[in-house]
Amino acid sequence: MPVGYSIYVDRPSYIHHRLDPRTKLAALGAAFVLALAFNHPAVLGGLVVLVLVAGRVAQVGWRSMAPFLAGSVWFIILGVLIWPLYVRSGAPLYAIAGQTITVDGLLFGLAMGLRVALMVTAAGVWMMTTSPQKLTVGLLHLGLPYKAGVAMTAAIRFVPLLNAERATIAEAQQARALDLRKGSPLSRAVKSVAIIGPLFIRAIDVAQGLAVAMDARGFGVRDGRTSIVELRLTGVDRMVMLALLAASLLGIALRLLGIGLISRDYL
Amino acid sequence: MEPADDVAIRVRDLRFRYPGATRDALAGLSLDVCRGEFLGITGPSGAGKSTLCLCLKGLVPAGEFSGSVSVAGQTVAPGSAYVESSALVFQNPETQIIGLTVAEDLAFGPENLRRDPAWIRAAIPVYLDQVRLAGYQDVDTYRLSGGQKQRLAIADALILEPEILILDEPTSELDPIGKDQFFEVLERLRRERSITVIMVEHAAEQLAAMADRVIVMQHGLVVDQGPPDQLYRNPVLFHHPQAERAPQISEVLFELLQAGLLPASQFTAQEEAGIQRLRALLENSVQSVAQRV
Amino acid sequence: MSESAAALDITDLVFRYASGVADVLRGVNLRIDHGEFVALIGQNGAGKTTLAKHFNGLLKPSSGSVRVMGRDTRAAPVADLARAVGYVYQNPDHQIFAQRVRAEAAFGPRNLGLSPSEVEQRVERALALVGLREHADDFAFSLGRGQRQKLAVASVLAMEPRILVVDEPTTGLDQAGARGILDLLSTWNVEGRTIVVITHDMTLVAERIPRTVVVNDGLILADGPTRHVLTDASLLRKAYLRPPQVTRVAQRLGDLGVAPDVLTVAELYRQIAARMGPS
Repeated sequence: MPVGYSIYVDRPSYIHHRLDPRTKLAALGAAFVLALAFNHPAVLGGLVVLVLVAGRVAQVGWRSMAPFLAGSVWFIILGVLIWPLYVRSGAPLYAIAGQTITVDGLLFGLAMGLRVALMVTAAGVWMMTTSPQKLTVGLLHLGLPYKAGVAMTAAIRFVPLLNAERATIAEAQQARALDLRKGSPLSRAVKSVAIIGPLFIRAIDVAQGLAVAMDARGFGVRDGRTSIVELRLTGVDRMVMLALLAASLLGIALRLLGIGLISRDYL
Repeated sequence: MEPADDVAIRVRDLRFRYPGATRDALAGLSLDVCRGEFLGITGPSGAGKSTLCLCLKGLVPAGEFSGSVSVAGQTVAPGSAYVESSALVFQNPETQIIGLTVAEDLAFGPENLRRDPAWIRAAIPVYLDQVRLAGYQDVDTYRLSGGQKQRLAIADALILEPEILILDEPTSELDPIGKDQFFEVLERLRRERSITVIMVEHAAEQLAAMADRVIVMQHGLVVDQGPPDQLYRNPVLFHHPQAERAPQISEVLFELLQAGLLPASQFTAQEEAGIQRLRALLENSVQSVAQRV
Repeated sequence: MSESAAALDITDLVFRYASGVADVLRGVNLRIDHGEFVALIGQNGAGKTTLAKHFNGLLKPSSGSVRVMGRDTRAAPVADLARAVGYVYQNPDHQIFAQRVRAEAAFGPRNLGLSPSEVEQRVERALALVGLREHADDFAFSLGRGQRQKLAVASVLAMEPRILVVDEPTTGLDQAGARGILDLLSTWNVEGRTIVVITHDMTLVAERIPRTVVVNDGLILADGPTRHVLTDASLLRKAYLRPPQVTRVAQRLGDLGVAPDVLTVAELYRQIAARMGPS
């Protein structure tokens, strides 16, 4: 859970400040399209490296990107264990419990894990380089209704508050001898009601207070809002978006041609 | 009270009941507030003070409403148009801060009213300076202390350029320093502008120092009102164990009044004036003792 | 736990958060004996809440020791220390989650593993003591703020701790509510319970609480009878605090013979009336 509003960290990088948030959103979209287009581990692995390079260009530290990769390791392990049971094409390697495991099966499983790594790391780098404030305005320019934009900002605004509330509630209940370390997972889940209950109610209280405060400051009184954040798509933005579009289309084309795939039968 | 066009707010027989409630939150309240006046409101919990504040901001809650409310000439009723001439500062520092950064929060109100972004950007440092938060534009709002958040809330209200500023128990969640800094900003505002201020406060000492007139609410009605130096003499509302809080100086002077040791004309609720009256009392008695000797 | 031990014995307490850059508490020494009624005052950020959270083991010392009735808090889990030290949080809504008042008050004792009949007895006693008996079967959230505050206090009292720590009990309450809570605490103190109150309300401290500890910048700036601590204006100023108005007024009349250690309205009145002599 971030301490602040999001994991966005301001850095004096080109990507942070010169690229419009809409461009960065397009980059995220392209990453997802390419992640789904291919299922060859080498291709997907290469794309992961590309995302990490982009992160380094944006001056995001290795330490910040590492948790996203680390989290994906589980999916790689799971992938390698489960997918060979479905993907049977290619040269057989060995047999377990009457099932034949093939090379393709293992590679496909690896690819699935790398696909998760790619999407998760791309999302992480994206979040670390896009300011929530600018993102909201970017989405507004893309047609997001202005009330939804304010709702987004308000939700982000309350992340640190609700985090702090959760911590306080946990302490207050601990002071009433609530022990969350003891007992079976089920009983511990039941005990958590003592924390989730007040947190839920606090969240509602905060939301109600916020609604009145917003009304008091004229929210919804006019048709739309102005914004002190100015966004403009520059030539660089357009070039980048064009390149991303081209890459996405290329990826789809290659998919249809069967290039960069282990198996044509599975996504 | 001055002639009619100097009345900023006129309330007549305001009655309001929340849905499912057993009694009225406001029970036929009538009140006039003059332009430029600093009106204090005090009274126990449940007296209807917050409900009144909401109505004066034009935010009538769902429920049964009757009577008339006019704010700077605009009629307020359930579902009526947004009231621009008054702005409201709430009790809870957390729920009235909306923006992720101080600048974003300050811009929220004017952006809603579709003000020109260039105007807003120029106004932000001006209002931050007025509430002693100069230079805080890019600070994340979650990093602010409670006191800083409440000062930002005043700026949020002022940037809407209201004629009337309403404050509902603005310092009750703040520590002594936060309270002091808040009242300092409010005092300065008072000196520099002729804005009408309505403040609900339990901090009796500060209320007595700043308000031109104080009203006491109970059970949805105004039960007494007057300049602090008169109001805090009321023996029914103050000066007994179940009473509302009065400035301590007025409690001491009241006791002296009751004992016949202080002439009624010398009663005050202000700390400095009270000290002077007590000095005069004690010096006179020293003199009269000296004279007898 | 030995009976001759102090209720709370804190020696050279230094504390820093895991992610912190500076010590929040920089060597605190404090001893509170059984049956005392103590006010903990200081500006926000001075460390008073951090200090209070050491009393029930919510926070463990970075160095130094904290002993509750002789027992080192480092070796004891919070759930265990909760038997001896009750901690009432400032906002009752941080604790209340049960449907009914009775169930809410029963949460603590049940966590202590007491028998159902014992839990029921304690709940009855606690609710009676705070004056919420008639509301025992009501929905907890149908109560007003002042009553929810009392419910929070009752829920902790139902655990029958010997030491009670109460954080800012009068915030957001009107005069009647604030007096009600202080009356409650005074009653408990008279019956032998040790009570520590964290508060900003100087007037209430001056009128009701016999011992005051001032926390400033991670250290104890002053610790003694309220009459000495709260009337020392220059000391309080270092902690960014001020004496109650009545004390300030009395001290401005010092040259006319008024005592500087006046704490209440009644005392100032008597001082002045006495000096006025027969008219």
